[in-house]
Amino acid sequence: MGWRLPLRSLWRNRRRTLLSLAVIALGTAVSLFVLGFLENSRFQIQESTVQEYGNLQVASPKLWKNETDGYDYLVSPRDVARLASLLEMEPGFRGSTSELQFPGLLGTGRETQVIRAIGIEPENPVLDFAEHAVAGRGLQLSDTASAFVGRTLAERLSLSVGSVIMVTLTTVNGAYNASPFTVVGIYKYSNEQFEQQVVFVPLAFAQRLLNTDGVDRIVISLDRIEASNPVASRLAAALQTDGTHLAPRTWDDLSPFYRQLASYFNALFAFLSLAISILVFFIILQVQTLAFLERTREIGTIRALGTTQREVFGLFFSESAWLAVLGSSMGVALGALLVAAFNAVGIQWLPPGTIEKFTLGARIEVKTALVPFAVSLVATLLSALYPAAQASRLRVVEALRIE
Amino acid sequence: MGFGSRFCHVRGAKFLDAQRLTKTYRVGSETVYALRDVNFVALQGDFVVINGPSGSGKTTFLNLMSVIDRPTSGEVFIESQPTSTQSEGQLAYLRKTKIGLVFQSFNLIPVLSAAENVEYPLLLQRRPKPERQERVAALLAEVGLSDLARRRPNELSGGQRQRVAIARALVSGPMIVLADEPTANLDSKTGEAVMDLMRRLNEEHCVTFIVVTHDPAVSRYAGRRVRIHDGRLEEGEGNGVAASAS
Repeated sequence: MGWRLPLRSLWRNRRRTLLSLAVIALGTAVSLFVLGFLENSRFQIQESTVQEYGNLQVASPKLWKNETDGYDYLVSPRDVARLASLLEMEPGFRGSTSELQFPGLLGTGRETQVIRAIGIEPENPVLDFAEHAVAGRGLQLSDTASAFVGRTLAERLSLSVGSVIMVTLTTVNGAYNASPFTVVGIYKYSNEQFEQQVVFVPLAFAQRLLNTDGVDRIVISLDRIEASNPVASRLAAALQTDGTHLAPRTWDDLSPFYRQLASYFNALFAFLSLAISILVFFIILQVQTLAFLERTREIGTIRALGTTQREVFGLFFSESAWLAVLGSSMGVALGALLVAAFNAVGIQWLPPGTIEKFTLGARIEVKTALVPFAVSLVATLLSALYPAAQASRLRVVEALRIE
Repeated sequence: MGFGSRFCHVRGAKFLDAQRLTKTYRVGSETVYALRDVNFVALQGDFVVINGPSGSGKTTFLNLMSVIDRPTSGEVFIESQPTSTQSEGQLAYLRKTKIGLVFQSFNLIPVLSAAENVEYPLLLQRRPKPERQERVAALLAEVGLSDLARRRPNELSGGQRQRVAIARALVSGPMIVLADEPTANLDSKTGEAVMDLMRRLNEEHCVTFIVVTHDPAVSRYAGRRVRIHDGRLEEGEGNGVAASAS
């Protein structure tokens, strides 16, 4: 009977159909909400990771493998220029900057603190942290012995804008060197450990202190995050072809935390989807089995009229398909409402290891909505297989005898 | 209208032939005979009434004739083709195209309207929509239910439901209609109307009717009477076509 008979059959027992729809819709909605929440968290972490690392970093393979001996991994100005020429050919390339990181000992006269100094090109468009300044300013082109320190470090060592600090370090030749720096600004960041350890200084001054013209990495910004891997592959191939001993790493290669978190989120969602699918599966199985038992005589009648076993199977399966499509669609709508309501409330949360509260939220896109929709759809359709097969296998005479 | 009428020129031709039909059931360790060695022939245009008390094997006989059940032994030939070797799909095709069924309890699909119930066999045959609409309208007019086409079965009386069931049985132009106690759930007046209708359709459209009943009043409509007792058929008065117990 085309779509009419299965659709109308759904409403024979309205209460039961509504219960089934509610189960599917609720399962889909919860699934969508959790996925949206996890996706939002993942997205925020992804954004902050890219902000911290850039889309790509290019450095000596020794640095990536932690096989360094002193500063033998530094990248020469010639290689930096070669890389710059390769990047100019990339359509999604937005900008790049060089960095020189080195460990040091920061002293204030009263206290000392081990730091990770990062020599950056001031006012670069990729990674200069100036927008995170909570006091003073970020580094400027005219700066020499200037330092941009984290809020936690500043609080701990009682630093303020204008404070003078002494940084002691080892040069590339292995000699000790030290220089006073003036704090020109204090930044805040979501990661407490980062704030406490990282001090930004002008790259040129850092090179002078370390007695080198090299850098340890080039940080690259692209217009789209999805472009990171393709650009990394092309760069790796080009660098290998012309014998430049440099290797690119993408932002997620550089952040094991992000990868672990993304895997954890995926596992969490898979587990939740499985649990919801099992629930939906058994409830719909029971409902459809009841429907099949109640309609045994009718199945006998339509079989007697010439309906084939396959058509009976199709009829029952179509009913479940309607149930699945309606329930899953309602679930997506309900999930979207839940997400909107949750985002409107704007719950604040302080994640462990961080000092900045952030607003909890959920994020749904078409592809995010498709996953719970498809999971509920498949679970419902699978649950229909057994009752539909049972219905199609009924013996006509026996089915007609059922009152 | 044309359903069935294409066979009028072969009135009297053998359509259904049952030979040495036996149907047994196992009840515990005992074998119960529902039908014993039955022979029966139905000719095109026959109006056969099969009488018999409850448990005599009437419904079993009808189930075998309508190929919704298979005999323990013997053979049912439809248009000279044996049915025992046919697959479930082939039997479904036979029922869909050549056999119409009318049930004691009407057996209409409750979620479909009267017209949709009548349309159902045509949908199974994948007939085009204009043809379906035309045939359904004609059949409903034939059984006097044009005004009630959109009503669901629960909005119809017993007699109206049975008329819908008769229209459904005839809509695909079957050669034979098998009716199992078609008046059993109707009052006598409505039962008579239903039998009048079946008899008229038989005469006008050459469709063979086999009506199984335990109601003696139905027998007066018979062109041919057959009695069934303890699983055996006995030909009664009528046109003398073979129906015998071996």
